[in-house]
Amino acid sequence: MEKTKEELLNRLAECVVEMAEEEEAAGAAQEYLAEGYPASDGIMYGLVEGMNQAGVLFDEEEYFVTDILLCSDAMYAGLEVLKPFLGEEEAAKKRRGVIGVVEGDTHDIGKNLVRIMLEAAGFEMTDLGRDVPPKKFVDTAKEKGADLVCMSTLMTTTMGGMETVISLLETAGIRDKVKVMVGGGPVSQRFADRIGADGYSQNAVEAVKLAKKLLA
Amino acid sequence: MERVKDWKCTFDNQPAILAEIAQKRGLEFPRAFTLWEPMSEAAKAYKEISGSAFCKLPFCHTVEAEALGGAVKFGEGTSGPKTREYICTTLDGLLELLPVDYSAGRIQEVLRACRSLKEQGECVMLKVAGPFTILNGLIEIETIYRALRREPEKMKQVFHKLEGELLRYIREAAACGADAISYADAPGGADILGTKGAIRAAEDFTYPFLKKAEHSAGAGLILLCPKTTCALDKIGKVKYNHVRLSKPMTYGEALREVMGKVRFAGQMCINKEAYILKNQQIETMELL
Repeated sequence: MEKTKEELLNRLAECVVEMAEEEEAAGAAQEYLAEGYPASDGIMYGLVEGMNQAGVLFDEEEYFVTDILLCSDAMYAGLEVLKPFLGEEEAAKKRRGVIGVVEGDTHDIGKNLVRIMLEAAGFEMTDLGRDVPPKKFVDTAKEKGADLVCMSTLMTTTMGGMETVISLLETAGIRDKVKVMVGGGPVSQRFADRIGADGYSQNAVEAVKLAKKLLA
Repeated sequence: MERVKDWKCTFDNQPAILAEIAQKRGLEFPRAFTLWEPMSEAAKAYKEISGSAFCKLPFCHTVEAEALGGAVKFGEGTSGPKTREYICTTLDGLLELLPVDYSAGRIQEVLRACRSLKEQGECVMLKVAGPFTILNGLIEIETIYRALRREPEKMKQVFHKLEGELLRYIREAAACGADAISYADAPGGADILGTKGAIRAAEDFTYPFLKKAEHSAGAGLILLCPKTTCALDKIGKVKYNHVRLSKPMTYGEALREVMGKVRFAGQMCINKEAYILKNQQIETMELL
């Protein structure tokens, strides 16, 4: 029986929020496309909607890091099917971000979660990984034409690197072209204000809200 | 389902203290992270500067993973050993890792430092990492988080392998005279795994491991991270006792007072050992 667009979008969202196996999510995306519906809607109102629901559950402490990881696996599996069918215009509209854990620190669970949620929210993210030298944040932001630089650390001894990145962004002449967000265990709003960052977020869900607010 | 009560990690002042040790005590780093003699001197200096009740070793969470073949970089100065790269990409790769050789490498240096400190009359606490911390030094931890759901039977095999290795480590530490084992596994906390994941980890690893560790630690105290205590409590495997202390004292001093009399304690993070127990009692535990 032919399924309506709404049914297929709901199925995509369910695959994400219910942490379906990747094959199932990919299958749902293929079925959606086969009905001739636009890929962009499948992404926004199917997969991303599912990720938003997962984000709410994370906020409510019903879902945790491991759940979000599995939700994102399903989301990425669906994205892999739908993305090639996005129009060029839709691809160009994406805001770009650079994200990484500052030099000297290798704790990256939180950073990975923020990356996943920002990608779900439509940001094109370049993940620099862990232990990232300050200059790399800046060089990559320039190279990618980034709108956003996101830095994370779990260690008090490496927080200073965030201020160094901001200083290097100024020296490179692109500070006013990017918004800088910071996060991590020892980081605070007060710290963010002190070093001249544009914002601080306590968790991945808040990071998305902040990024959207900063780039509005 | 009622959630596992969780405990927010507290951070110690290790970086500043190690920097002071390097500057004022003439100890070289990263040498003191790798060789038993400067390591034991650094542990004594650390105890003195921090006011701790114990000489604690090691100064990082990478020793166990490195002993299993993990790749560690030492950086410069006191920044501390960190995982350089992951040596495994699959659970099968983890299962193929060779057993730890306690006669070689940095793990041997840590045990020698323990023995040396005991010979000098110090009270020694060996910090032992749990499976998620160890795995975080060998493989992308997200692979493990996924495997907890997608490959639970294979994860049990991985847990079983690590249980064997950790029990051997604890026996070696007891043979070197370690007075206490401090056991912690922050990447395996309920705040990351969630309630179901934390329960599964406690049932599949933590409880069976600690039940066996009871008989492997010599006369030593096993101090649990409160996150671990909360998980064991959730699965109904803990009985709490309150031991009266000789006087109000710090948590660290209280742990020393009950050493040899109880096996498990874990009401507070070891980073908070300066907290004064004004009510003159310490909570200890028995595993059911």
